[in-house]
Amino acid sequence: MSVPTIEVKNLKKYFNVPGGKLHAVDDISFTIEKGQTIGVVGESGCGKSTLGRTIIHLLESTDGQIFLDGMDITRLNAHQLREAREKMQIIFQDPYSSLNPRMTVGEIVREPLELSGRFNKKQVEEEADKLMDLVGIETRLRNSYPHELDGGRRQRVGIARAIALKPEFIVCDEPVSALDVSIQAQVLNLLMDLQEEFGLTLMFVTHDLSVVRHISNSIAVMYLGQLVEKAETEDLFEAPLHPYTKALLSAIPSVDVHNPSKRILLKGEITSAINPKPGCRFQGRCPYATESCAKQQELTEVKPGHFVSCCRVKEINQL
Amino acid sequence: MSEKFLQVKDLVIEYTSGGQVIHAVNGVSFDLEKGKTLGLVGETGAGKTSIAKAIIGVLPDPPAKVRSGEIFVEGKDLLKASDEEMYEVRGNKISMIFQDPMTALNPLMTIGDQISEVIAIHSGDGNTQEAKKKAIEILNMVGITAERYDEFPYQFSGGMKQRVVIAIALACNPELLLADEPTTALDVTIQAQVLEMMNDLREKLGTSMILITHDLGVVAEMCDDVAVVYAGEIIEKADKVELFDYPTHPYTNGLFGSLPMMAVGEKRLHPIAGMMPDPTNLPEGCKFSPRCPFATEECRKGEIPLREIAPGHYCRCLHAARKETPGFSASAVSEMVTAGKEA
Repeated sequence: MSVPTIEVKNLKKYFNVPGGKLHAVDDISFTIEKGQTIGVVGESGCGKSTLGRTIIHLLESTDGQIFLDGMDITRLNAHQLREAREKMQIIFQDPYSSLNPRMTVGEIVREPLELSGRFNKKQVEEEADKLMDLVGIETRLRNSYPHELDGGRRQRVGIARAIALKPEFIVCDEPVSALDVSIQAQVLNLLMDLQEEFGLTLMFVTHDLSVVRHISNSIAVMYLGQLVEKAETEDLFEAPLHPYTKALLSAIPSVDVHNPSKRILLKGEITSAINPKPGCRFQGRCPYATESCAKQQELTEVKPGHFVSCCRVKEINQL
Repeated sequence: MSEKFLQVKDLVIEYTSGGQVIHAVNGVSFDLEKGKTLGLVGETGAGKTSIAKAIIGVLPDPPAKVRSGEIFVEGKDLLKASDEEMYEVRGNKISMIFQDPMTALNPLMTIGDQISEVIAIHSGDGNTQEAKKKAIEILNMVGITAERYDEFPYQFSGGMKQRVVIAIALACNPELLLADEPTTALDVTIQAQVLEMMNDLREKLGTSMILITHDLGVVAEMCDDVAVVYAGEIIEKADKVELFDYPTHPYTNGLFGSLPMMAVGEKRLHPIAGMMPDPTNLPEGCKFSPRCPFATEECRKGEIPLREIAPGHYCRCLHAARKETPGFSASAVSEMVTAGKEA
């Protein structure tokens, strides 16, 4: 069997905050095969962005292991990190603040090529032009500054920068959330084209469930730092098994005017992951919670390829 | 009974900026019956928010200017009303929920005081005890307990703040509520709670509502009628079911084609090629013609009329015909995409 591009084992990232330890990512394990896309979904504050950033070493992990192509990259020195960075990139949510306002579009795209030391000056120029053609940045815009561009084009610059050194793995952190639907669709199509062309492995972090359904092969649902459910995309949307996933999916407003969706309304809001109590973190809002939910929950395979972290999953779904 | 509560006629709004004139709203007309909800749908910069701000009279002047048009509420033209009269209308008869709950609240005032302030001003008797009692009632109505009356906005989460903003808007039982992207900043589970609450309140109080959003799913759940706005014009308008079953204008079809949820089982989305036109330099004729694959010579000159293509279904397009069978037309959209690529 081939080695997965990304493997994460028992990854933890805690932050020290006033009042204790914030368990932003708490014991998460999964793999992503080459060329696949995993969607990570959850509400704001569930730790999905922290997870992405910890994997590509923008944040130092607290515990656990990260493998890239089977190689342990959990602890790297500065030199090794720099090499690993060429293989792992990120596209940020906000194309308004993630580009250097004092550099032109061309300079932003050329910078990673120059820093890699792989190209001479002429090759850098050629390569950058190729990249900008590929993502659809018109020639006339290449000497413009980011503030002169609209959101969709800025996000294209962010994408060109991220793919410049032909990485294997890209974390897309809400790359289309700040864009209008029609521009969002253009950018999503671009990402999918690039993935096919270069065999990119993607981790797509978003709160927009319909976007994630469109672009991902499998989906991981996070709640307060933990994985509560993981499955193939269609399995998850057809038959969500965790009570939280059920509520989350039912909350998407449906465009089907003849069959309005039946919403499962959750009480209250996501609490905080500061010094969480043992047991299921969703129990306070869960309509099915009983005393048994106070014990530690395990992510278990309830159907082939479908993992759920809920001790009552069998009863609730009559499996 | 069809009682026209609100009538907007030929509204034209311009902004002046750096010597340039931005044509934000270009002759928008619509009616709203009592107790009904109208959805205004469109992308950023289409002019949706300007329309709402003109109705409630809070357009910043300068730079904004209502060039022409009439806004009748129960037969009275609000654009001709004096400042004193508008002061009475705002909050009492019409109120607005602003898009961003994070910035719509005063950070230096307690949540409770911000609600009771509205009540004290509009009930006119200045009885703060009475206003406080009422404010607590309204807080309860939006699902916030009385203990949180003395807390400040920073102590509230996004969803809670949006409830407070809604509570302020509803404090004086307005007859018309303008909701500008009320749930866009919220997570889906919280959005579901807020929408449910707005539905309940509307049923209880019989409020008419204009819901501004770019989320077609929210429109499908909340609205009776829908108007699609593009470059400051209504380009299609119909009853919700009619519009979702028979989207006719190429732009409306493009919006549907951009939705990932409409593309289940399809490999690629069908976005509209290109971007909205520059509002300082709008194209002649149909404003959508530069992006439209069906555009012909005639589309590029003169006024394009809003035609009634089925009872109550209006469309501003010379060529589009209502389809025989319901559903958005992916093939029309793919043609648009190809045409856009060639252009």
